[in-house]
Amino acid sequence: MSEEETHNAPLAPEAKPEEINASCRGPVLFLFFSAALWAVQATGVGLLGSLKMHVPGFLADFSHLTYGRLQANAWVAFLYGFAGNAGMGLTLWMLSRLRGMPLAKPGFVLAGAFLWNSGVTAAMVGITMGDQPGVAGYELPAYASRVLLIGQAFIAFSAIITYFSRRHQQLYPSSWFLIAALVAFPWIVGTAHWLLVETPVRGAAQIPVAHWTVTSLQQIWLGCMGLAAILYFIPKITGRELYSRQWAAFGFWMLLILGGWVNLNSGSPLPVWSIKLSQYASALFIFVLIAIGWNLRQTAKGVPLLGSSDLTLQCMGFALGAWLITALFTFGNFYSDWNGLLQFTYAGTAMRQFFAWGFFAMAMFGAVYYVAPRLFSGEVDWACSGTYKWIFRLTAIGAVVILLAGLGMSYGHGHALQDGSAEVMKKALMPMRIAFLGEILFFLSSLIFLGSMACLLFRNCCGECSPMALIRKCRAAEAEGGAE
Amino acid sequence: MNKSPWIFLGVLFALSLSWWGMVFGPASQANAAKADLGDGTSLHPRSGLAQQGEQIYRENGCYYCHTRMATGGTFGYEIQITQLGADKDLTREIIGEEYAGNKIFEKAYAFQAVAAAQEAATAEGADVEATKATLEQAKAYANAIETEDALIALGISGVTIEGDLAGELGLPIEMSEADKSSVADATFAVSEGIEQWDEIKDRVRALKDRAGAQFKLLPVADNWPDVEYWGARRQSVTRDFLYDVHAMPGVMRVGPDLSNVGARQLDLNALYAKIYNSQAGGQSSHMPPYKYLFNVRSAKEGEELPANAVTVSTGDGVKQSVEPDFVVTPTHKARALAAYLQSLRNDKGLPEAPLPAVREISNPKEGE
Repeated sequence: MSEEETHNAPLAPEAKPEEINASCRGPVLFLFFSAALWAVQATGVGLLGSLKMHVPGFLADFSHLTYGRLQANAWVAFLYGFAGNAGMGLTLWMLSRLRGMPLAKPGFVLAGAFLWNSGVTAAMVGITMGDQPGVAGYELPAYASRVLLIGQAFIAFSAIITYFSRRHQQLYPSSWFLIAALVAFPWIVGTAHWLLVETPVRGAAQIPVAHWTVTSLQQIWLGCMGLAAILYFIPKITGRELYSRQWAAFGFWMLLILGGWVNLNSGSPLPVWSIKLSQYASALFIFVLIAIGWNLRQTAKGVPLLGSSDLTLQCMGFALGAWLITALFTFGNFYSDWNGLLQFTYAGTAMRQFFAWGFFAMAMFGAVYYVAPRLFSGEVDWACSGTYKWIFRLTAIGAVVILLAGLGMSYGHGHALQDGSAEVMKKALMPMRIAFLGEILFFLSSLIFLGSMACLLFRNCCGECSPMALIRKCRAAEAEGGAE
Repeated sequence: MNKSPWIFLGVLFALSLSWWGMVFGPASQANAAKADLGDGTSLHPRSGLAQQGEQIYRENGCYYCHTRMATGGTFGYEIQITQLGADKDLTREIIGEEYAGNKIFEKAYAFQAVAAAQEAATAEGADVEATKATLEQAKAYANAIETEDALIALGISGVTIEGDLAGELGLPIEMSEADKSSVADATFAVSEGIEQWDEIKDRVRALKDRAGAQFKLLPVADNWPDVEYWGARRQSVTRDFLYDVHAMPGVMRVGPDLSNVGARQLDLNALYAKIYNSQAGGQSSHMPPYKYLFNVRSAKEGEELPANAVTVSTGDGVKQSVEPDFVVTPTHKARALAAYLQSLRNDKGLPEAPLPAVREISNPKEGE
């Protein structure tokens, strides 16, 4: 991609990529490794929760391990633990590279990352103790969200300073998405914190606030970070220009405008006008889908993304496909019959999982695969690059399994609910049973991701003082001693 | 888009649109909702145990598997005549032969004729012979119409027939409370209950303005799964959550919808047994047992179960502990959760969400 000059004023000198990578090394690797840890936590806890759904008596005597608490924990670990860490790490690196400047104030990032992870930990402990606010999709206790907001502010401060450190450049579209994610997070979580937890509004008024929060976190916050990665890496690896900045801009603004409106259940106990508005917003979401999808299709025309030999490109191709499918599902919510049929089934949860893992996690896995080795001086390789492919494969298969189970079988559950069928319970559980297989695959891919990150750090961190270097020295010393 | 500050401002503006539309607008409207129900009653906040129970419901994440969100459906209108007008032919023309052919309709007008003849016979200066003959003729006609729903016919006729005359017409001479209630609550449906307003508006206006009948319009669930099959009595609306500390409308229906569980589950012991072990008593369920909400101790030999012990009925009707050989009693948390669940009801109509009837035929045709 090129960053065209649009002004005659002299440009600030662009830093070398090595210099930028070096500035990002500590903070970004810390965030990536934290993300890997939280991914294992999220999938492990999620598996445990799902197991309780299939074997109701499993761990039933432990009040801290109810299905509701485990599900809340799993989503918090994914959303703030994995997605927050990985997304912000990537944001910092991409902004630095796109602006051509070293990361500003890396100490702030480290402090923010520490606070951020403390906040997620506090949330996990709080939920386990029964302190969740009762909003599925936003389960942060008050104290956890305060720490998260402060932590994000520290990280965002560094990102913003980096962003403004070099001007007179045409901004690449990924920058817009990243900046939007940085601005959207405190707005969304701040709103939820104040109106749902800190000084809760009346019960009836909490429902629209909760919906906006949950939808915005997914569509706007996660959506912007994931799409920024896709828009950056597909042109970069294919060596092509982004097909159209105008299409990208149209998709960007439409996503921001519509992202908080969509996917409201037609049966929600809310004023009819807000349900109708949500349906119209879902209908308009087709423009976001077309703008992003068409632009990237034209960019990568003739290049088989999934069939590529480049793992990052494969990941980005799958992530793009997953995002398009969830966008199509969002568009489908325009039809009230469709929405009404699936609203109380596993379909919504399945689509959230598909979005989270098929789109976001996949984009992050691909991005980390590209970025992490470059953060070390001299560009190192992944220790066992073959194992990293399994992250892609397992996540992809798991996401497809959950998608098929969630949509296909929830259809039967929806019909059973509408027909008063005696088999409603069986039909409710069937998609969850199938999806359990997908969750196992996510867990395995998370373990491999954590192992790969650990291996990378083990071999390459701290230069000559890395654990692997020390082991090699010890072995060499032993060998010399033996020879003597 | 080259100027960085514009991106910031644009993002803020774009986000503010959905914030105003999905947060500020609906939340302001919901916040302004009144507790007054318009009929002299009002909604009340939960208090005591039920309020504490909301916390137990929340901290255990019950809302992941249960909704509190009865959805809307479609309903038709059943026109229920409560008192017929005086003009039989006009009423027949308006409601159509399909309903006018019902014996209740004929009987009701026969009662009207008897009452009119009786009044004429007792009027001052009446022709005794002529009125007596008319009365006898009216009585004979009324008695010739055989129907088991004579009290309903009497109720919708709008006349009062008592004493010996009632006896002569096959009506109770001394009405019991049940009989009086049948008469007072009598209705005669003149639509199927599946018609929409546009289909019946002309009939309604004619009954009111031309025939002088009194009637009510009853919404009847036509395609309304939550009301027809899942125990809700009406659609859940914003005001159902007015006083919730934490509104938890729910995510999935792995378990049943709880919007009206308080009206369905009146037996507290059964509710405790369900929470303790939903499979107790051989019931099929996938709800996990919440045994940690109960005190459990070994039962001594020959010990009688205390009054607050959680029990289930065996096949032969004998009550036994929900956990054989143990005494299970609810903790404060279990009592609070049960109180909260019993506070969840939507069996009272609201102006914005009237109670529909579950579809059944109000006046079955003869032979049905």
